[in-house]
Amino acid sequence: MSMRRRSLLKVIVLGDSGVGKTSLMNQYVNNKFSQQYKATIGADFVTKELQIDDRLVTLQIWDTAGQERFQSLGAAFYRGADCCVLVYDVNYLKSFDSLDNWHEEFLKQASPRDPTAFPFILLGNKVDIDGGNSRVVSEKKAREWCAQKGNICYYETSAKEDYNVDESFLCITKLALTNERDQDIYFQGIPESGSEPEQRGGCAC
Amino acid sequence: MRRLAGVEDEEKWLAEGIAGIQHNAFFMHRALDANNLREVLKYSALMLSELRTSKLSPQKYYDLYMRAFDQLRQLEVFFKDESRHGLPVVDLYELVQHAGNILPRMYLLCTVGSVYIKSKQAPSKDVLKDLVEMCRGVQHPIRGLFLRSYLAQVSRDKLPEIGSEYEGDANTVMDAVEFVLQNFTEMNKLWVRIQHQGPGTVREKQEKERNELRDLVGKNLHVLGQIEGVDLEMYKETVLPRVLEQVVNCKDELAQYYLMECIIQVFPDEYHLQTLETLLAACTQLMPTVDTKIVLTQLMDRLSNYAASSPDVLHEFLQVEAFAKLSNAIGKVIDTQIEMPIVGAMTLFVSLLTFTLRVHPDRLDYVDQILGACVVKLSSVPKLEDSRAMKQVVALLSAPLEKYNDIVTALTLSNYPRVMDHLDDGTNKVMAMLIIQSIMKNDSCISTADKVEVLFELIKGLIKDLDGTDTEELDEEDFQEEQNSVARLIHMLDNEEPEEMLKIICVVRKHLMTGGTRRLPFTVPPLVFSALRLVRQLESQDRDVTGEDVQASPRKIFQILNQTIEVLSSVPCPELALRLYLQCAEAASDCDLEPVAYEFFTQAFILYEEEIADSKAQVTAIHLISGTLQRINVFGVENRDTLTHKATGYSARLLKKPDQCRAVYACSHLFWVDDLDGIKDGERVLLCLRRALRIANAAQQMANATRGSSGPVTLFVEILNKYLYFYEKGNPHITPSDIQSLIELINTEMQSDDNNNGNTRNHSDPFFTSTLRYIRFQKQKGGLMGDKYDLIKL
Repeated sequence: MSMRRRSLLKVIVLGDSGVGKTSLMNQYVNNKFSQQYKATIGADFVTKELQIDDRLVTLQIWDTAGQERFQSLGAAFYRGADCCVLVYDVNYLKSFDSLDNWHEEFLKQASPRDPTAFPFILLGNKVDIDGGNSRVVSEKKAREWCAQKGNICYYETSAKEDYNVDESFLCITKLALTNERDQDIYFQGIPESGSEPEQRGGCAC
Repeated sequence: MRRLAGVEDEEKWLAEGIAGIQHNAFFMHRALDANNLREVLKYSALMLSELRTSKLSPQKYYDLYMRAFDQLRQLEVFFKDESRHGLPVVDLYELVQHAGNILPRMYLLCTVGSVYIKSKQAPSKDVLKDLVEMCRGVQHPIRGLFLRSYLAQVSRDKLPEIGSEYEGDANTVMDAVEFVLQNFTEMNKLWVRIQHQGPGTVREKQEKERNELRDLVGKNLHVLGQIEGVDLEMYKETVLPRVLEQVVNCKDELAQYYLMECIIQVFPDEYHLQTLETLLAACTQLMPTVDTKIVLTQLMDRLSNYAASSPDVLHEFLQVEAFAKLSNAIGKVIDTQIEMPIVGAMTLFVSLLTFTLRVHPDRLDYVDQILGACVVKLSSVPKLEDSRAMKQVVALLSAPLEKYNDIVTALTLSNYPRVMDHLDDGTNKVMAMLIIQSIMKNDSCISTADKVEVLFELIKGLIKDLDGTDTEELDEEDFQEEQNSVARLIHMLDNEEPEEMLKIICVVRKHLMTGGTRRLPFTVPPLVFSALRLVRQLESQDRDVTGEDVQASPRKIFQILNQTIEVLSSVPCPELALRLYLQCAEAASDCDLEPVAYEFFTQAFILYEEEIADSKAQVTAIHLISGTLQRINVFGVENRDTLTHKATGYSARLLKKPDQCRAVYACSHLFWVDDLDGIKDGERVLLCLRRALRIANAAQQMANATRGSSGPVTLFVEILNKYLYFYEKGNPHITPSDIQSLIELINTEMQSDDNNNGNTRNHSDPFFTSTLRYIRFQKQKGGLMGDKYDLIKL
């Protein structure tokens, strides 16, 4: 009988204030977009369920505050992340320049077991603005940055136009799956029907 | 050392807490695998007990909390699946309330509650209400805040917002709002309470803790901003009033400051505009120690960005009379907070001005109003000494310059110069330079005397020494840069209408004359040239200048010029003055004003005779005089003779013989002007050349006497070239034999030099060689020229 394995994947979304993190998530989860800027305070998550092959995946997407003053509790919630999404605004150079900081800060705070193999993805958002005429960061430049950081995946997105949003989150999911953490407490996949629980390899303690 | 021990202890406790969670989580998972509900509940409660600690600071507690949180997600999955534990969720909800201690009980309850709502077996509103009230059982601030934060997190996607699956007749968005507001209120109370605990010595630590916890409280406002269905109406009627009520009533400085900031950031600009009065009124009700000016600045900055984002939104600003409300509020703040340092008030004005320039760029009266308020505030302090405040004032004054590329607009702001008056001298000059740079950058043209008057009043720091300045202190390079800027500026003052242009020149002159001897050499020349430009314009226009009320006439302008150049004697800089006199003479000549031109030459000669003593300077000067005189054709015979006589006389009396020679043969051109009706006195030309030749001979003899060998033949060759020039021009007094003799003379001089030196080689002079080559070349030309040159036998 077929087993559907369930996975809970934790994804952290980071980037300067105003680049569109909350909007991307809203578009992805709720298919909604609002032009009004509303700052995010602290960090919070939304969940979305996806089907990938035989797996039912719950994405726990953590939206974070871009403004430093709204990050008073620190980054404990980074821990256990399966993937990190970096977002910048293609029309605002400073948001691109900050990426190095976000990348470094995440690795420092989350302390993944293998920092070089940890899955990141970069999203260049707001490509819709002014028909692309206000762009100050070229795709080439972004891809160069990605290559430099270990061949990170790159997507150009528009939360407003719902462009590449689903695609990028699908990619995120797949990346996270490849990095799914082994829990230090052993974990079993939960079968859909009441059949024999499947033994999954974990640590032998 | 005690402090350090504290941190180490905390690390230890945290590690213990984490170990405790991991330990119990392990067993919880084993129980989950076995679908053993009792064991699950037992170990999850034990695990959650770690959160009962009071030993951890918020950030460390958060670490612990997150680990528990992650585990609870797995627990939730288990609870959701009735087939695993066999209990209907409503029974589960009842069962978990039997947990021993309240904190684990509440976490479990919230987790089940989340499942309960999702199952739709009870209205979302009811469960939420139940949970938010039961959380009251935990009154410890840190624990309570995190618990309520957990509740907020798990309930977030289960609020009965518009369009949500949990919406229904019994569940409305109002219920969602009510729930969040209640949680927010309770969280704020817990948060504020922290400062009232513990003795005063611990206060610093508590403040740090409070700061770490603040986002837990603020998050609720964020949620309110994101709830679908909270439209402007609901925000205005319910959300904002309730939030502000809590903000004001809690009477806590930290909370008020932070929460006002949150309100401004998490709700849309549109809402702020429509509730502006309410927001501003709330600002006045805050504790006196709250820095309201920062709150106001943030609000204005946000609204400024909104205005800049799209022109469509500007009408909203007008509709709500945003400017009036904001400027009133700011006025009140500044008036009531008398201890506010100047820099604070200035910052507010800068924000308001930025806002105004974005939203109401056409309302210069608003801009002037703000500057006026600034003047009032600045007048209340005896002297502005704070450099930060100074910077803000410069920012305030620069903003209109940048916005209105046309400086003229800024010049109409009556309070602008008054603000500048309050700057210290150094900053005043910086501002003046900025103004000039703005004019140059935008190629602005200042075209009326009135505007020029205002402008020069503004930049007076550059034009003259202000009281108290010591110009000796100023770096030479900086000073030059300043004055060159002023010089460049003068050329930007222009009006096609001559009467107005003359007025402008007079205004400029009036100001420049106060500049002192250091400045005049920089500033007088551009003024002179500006006036000369006007003269030439008048001359070419051929206006009727005889009327009574006609001020702008070349004659009048030359009068002014004469007086202006005269002032340079105070510096003194005779060489500059001489050049300027000659320029004027030439212009006067072009206007057919013989007496005026003569007067300028007289002045030039006086300077030469009495002020220019340096021999090199004299050489330059006499060449300038001769050169100018040569071009002038307005003089009658008598005047011309007087002047040329003087010129040649002075030329012959220069200090060094070679200089004499050259100056004299240059004078030959005074007697031969190539124009149609120019003078062509061939005899006097030759007289000059012969005189030059005599001087050259004398020079050679002197060289022989002092050095024992003759000097170079250069002078002779130069004179030869002059002979050739006039020969070509057809001076009848210059004959081929004259030229031949001169060539022979040169040859002789060169050979004797060789003989004296014992050179067997032929001495050659390149200039002479090429001159001879020229003669041969001309011979070959054929035609009249060829014939002429054929007569010269080499």
